[in-house]
Amino acid sequence: MNEFGSRVSRILEENLIFVSLIAIVIFFSLISESFLSLTTLSTLLNQLPALTVVSIGMTLVLISGGIDLSVGSVVALSAGVIGAGIAILGLPLPLAACLGILTGALIGFANGSLGAYLRLPIFIVTLGMLEVSRGLAYLVTDSQTVYLGAKIQSFAVPWAGSGISASILVALTLVVVFEFLLRSTVFGRQIVAVGSNESAAEVSGIDPRRVRCTVLVLSGLLAGLGGLMNAAYLGSADPNAGIGLELSAIAAAVIGGTSLMGGRGSVVGAFVGVLIVSVLQIGLAQIGITEPTKRVITGAVIILAVILDRWRAT
Amino acid sequence: MIGDTRSRLRFAAKGVCKSFATPVLRDVDLEISVGHIHGLVGENGAGKSTLAKIVVGLEDADSGSLYLDDQPYRPINTSDSLGAGVAICAQELSLVADLSIAENILLHTSTSSFTRIRRKRAEENASRLLDLVGLVRSDPRTLVSRLSLAEKQLVEIAKTLATDASLLILDEPTSALTAPQAELLHRILRDKTRDGVTVIYISHRLGDVLSVCDRVSVLRDGEVRLTNDCNVLSEKLLIREMAGEDADFEASPRSIKEVSSIHLAVKDLQTSKLPNPISFNCRRGEILGIAGLAGSGRTELLNAIFGLDKRIAGSIKIHMDHGIAETRSPWQSIRCGIGLVTEDRAKDGVFRDHALAFNVTIAGLRRIADQIGRLVRRKEASSVAKLIETLHVRSNGVDQKMRELSGGNQQKSMLARWLHCGSQLLLLDEPTRGVDVTAKLAIHTELVRLRDAGITVIAVSSELEELQSLCDRIIVLSNRKLVAEFHRNNWSQEEILAAAFSEYDRENDDSSAAAS
Repeated sequence: MNEFGSRVSRILEENLIFVSLIAIVIFFSLISESFLSLTTLSTLLNQLPALTVVSIGMTLVLISGGIDLSVGSVVALSAGVIGAGIAILGLPLPLAACLGILTGALIGFANGSLGAYLRLPIFIVTLGMLEVSRGLAYLVTDSQTVYLGAKIQSFAVPWAGSGISASILVALTLVVVFEFLLRSTVFGRQIVAVGSNESAAEVSGIDPRRVRCTVLVLSGLLAGLGGLMNAAYLGSADPNAGIGLELSAIAAAVIGGTSLMGGRGSVVGAFVGVLIVSVLQIGLAQIGITEPTKRVITGAVIILAVILDRWRAT
Repeated sequence: MIGDTRSRLRFAAKGVCKSFATPVLRDVDLEISVGHIHGLVGENGAGKSTLAKIVVGLEDADSGSLYLDDQPYRPINTSDSLGAGVAICAQELSLVADLSIAENILLHTSTSSFTRIRRKRAEENASRLLDLVGLVRSDPRTLVSRLSLAEKQLVEIAKTLATDASLLILDEPTSALTAPQAELLHRILRDKTRDGVTVIYISHRLGDVLSVCDRVSVLRDGEVRLTNDCNVLSEKLLIREMAGEDADFEASPRSIKEVSSIHLAVKDLQTSKLPNPISFNCRRGEILGIAGLAGSGRTELLNAIFGLDKRIAGSIKIHMDHGIAETRSPWQSIRCGIGLVTEDRAKDGVFRDHALAFNVTIAGLRRIADQIGRLVRRKEASSVAKLIETLHVRSNGVDQKMRELSGGNQQKSMLARWLHCGSQLLLLDEPTRGVDVTAKLAIHTELVRLRDAGITVIAVSSELEELQSLCDRIIVLSNRKLVAEFHRNNWSQEEILAAAFSEYDRENDDSSAAAS
């Protein structure tokens, strides 16, 4: 019996964030009758895709020992490029979408070249790029929200009856793909190695600059995709989109067990982190908590997650 | 009057012992009279720097006691020892690079954190000290990061002199200095002793030691082997005492391999850290030792071969079954079958928070991946399990975290990393540093076994005994030059040590000859 108990506690401990997520869901279902409903689920899922894909990229960057503060602005820039491409240049949607994603990758490449190859502090480089991208987003949209209509929204609108949109399906697939990349490929191991001990990685024949640069390109690319998802969700390209998104992504990654010092983390964990924050937002709103109080609680949860993580690691 | 002050003891140590993993200081007794310059010499790892650290409170002795002016003395940190009038000029330069010379000197002398900084006065004071140590033209407002190594060393010395301490400890103060600069320092020290200052002078430069010191103590394996007045000592005598009587180390019972083909050819190799061209060959299946004092360029040579340090001239050719390749980066070196086990495991060896398996396979991930680059866990586990069994790595399995393993087992898994890659040439920097005696023997046995299996080993070690028991051939670096080569059964510890010291003294002789 005792042995059984210790095994249960170990399993609970190892899957702490899943347990926390379930606990939060149960908590809100008990308090608010309307919480466990299809409407809630649909609202939740529709909000998620952009933050999910951005968090994937952020998680990889954090594991490699870096950080990417530019992603929120890149979401807006990518959406802006897509909007301008369709509304001004009259490009077909798929081409405009590719252009938007490519823009994100280019910003990521700039981050990577400056941070990894020129060895500038990545925090400052991406902070600068946050401003550059936001400015570019205003420039390409002429500071106006560009309406794109129903065609792009079909990407984000749930398929009849299922509550699942193409957007969320893509995001979930990417969570699985990148978790696989991280856990089970040579490149994933290299990311972890560089983040955990850069000079040991170099002695092991890994080029830390290449790895750091590649994850930043991936992060930019995923933020570009996030821009497409954001534009699809809103049906328009909003140059004010994604403000503060980088902080939500960092929070999701950290709640999911990713270390800000690098070398440790999980993409699935980050996704659960996204779910925890989103469920909390919706749940608190439903039980009538005001916006300021919601922010206080969400912030406290992030700090609590780090405390739990520290406690678990020792 | 003078005779009276000279006979008084300024500093004494009685029965000082200190162990880290192994004993570093055993029962050290030392007595130093007021106004004396006392030399402390010995091989690397003999315990000189540890003793110095104990005297200034950077380390605490396990047992034994220290006395200052016959009063018991046990500093808990450097400000404590500074208060007692003891200052150290440490081997690892302790200057803050982003502060100016004046600010660095001020940091060391101000007594309270909240004293108002009087810039003008600090700069005048610094300028006076710089004049004293011969940096006449230096502006005290210069940032330390802009100084050369020799200038930094002089600032460090000035900083120590600024404390007005009455017991100065200088650890390798002249290692970066030219002969005239060293001569000036020695003059300053002699002036200081006339004011009653006492100096402990630690150095590899035996000529310097004999010329400046009143008495010298030789440390070997943490024991004081000899203390005597300088005028009855010679360099030869010092070297013999440092090496010990058992210098003819028992050769392990194995044959010297027959001459085989060349495996590695290094020709006129130069990097920014190795300014003098170095050439040597290494044959397949031999264990080549690299001897030399700390800072003689041993680590830099291994790093240059592996491609960690960019070379600026020369060539490194590695002979393989299908031809000859040149290597320029760690990645290429690994592809050519070279592996490097670094000196500082914690810094650039292990991934401490990751599993043993992760640590072993990281340099050869493609060997456990399928065609599409997917890592096959089963392949990884079985391959690592086999390696840790042959190398006798003691662990709870391949998933155990690296940080939970002992130093010896960590070191063995570093070897396993390269065996997993199929490396044919192992570069080992201090392969048994910080491991216990049993693990050390096990590693030695394993290296000989690997050699007999046709793997080439190049090993750097500070312990001559280790190199002598392990190697087929030893090359000696001194002051970043390759100075000698010894073959097995044709070497003595004294000869090797003399070679290791040779360039340090010759440099002094050359420049003093040029000066005169």
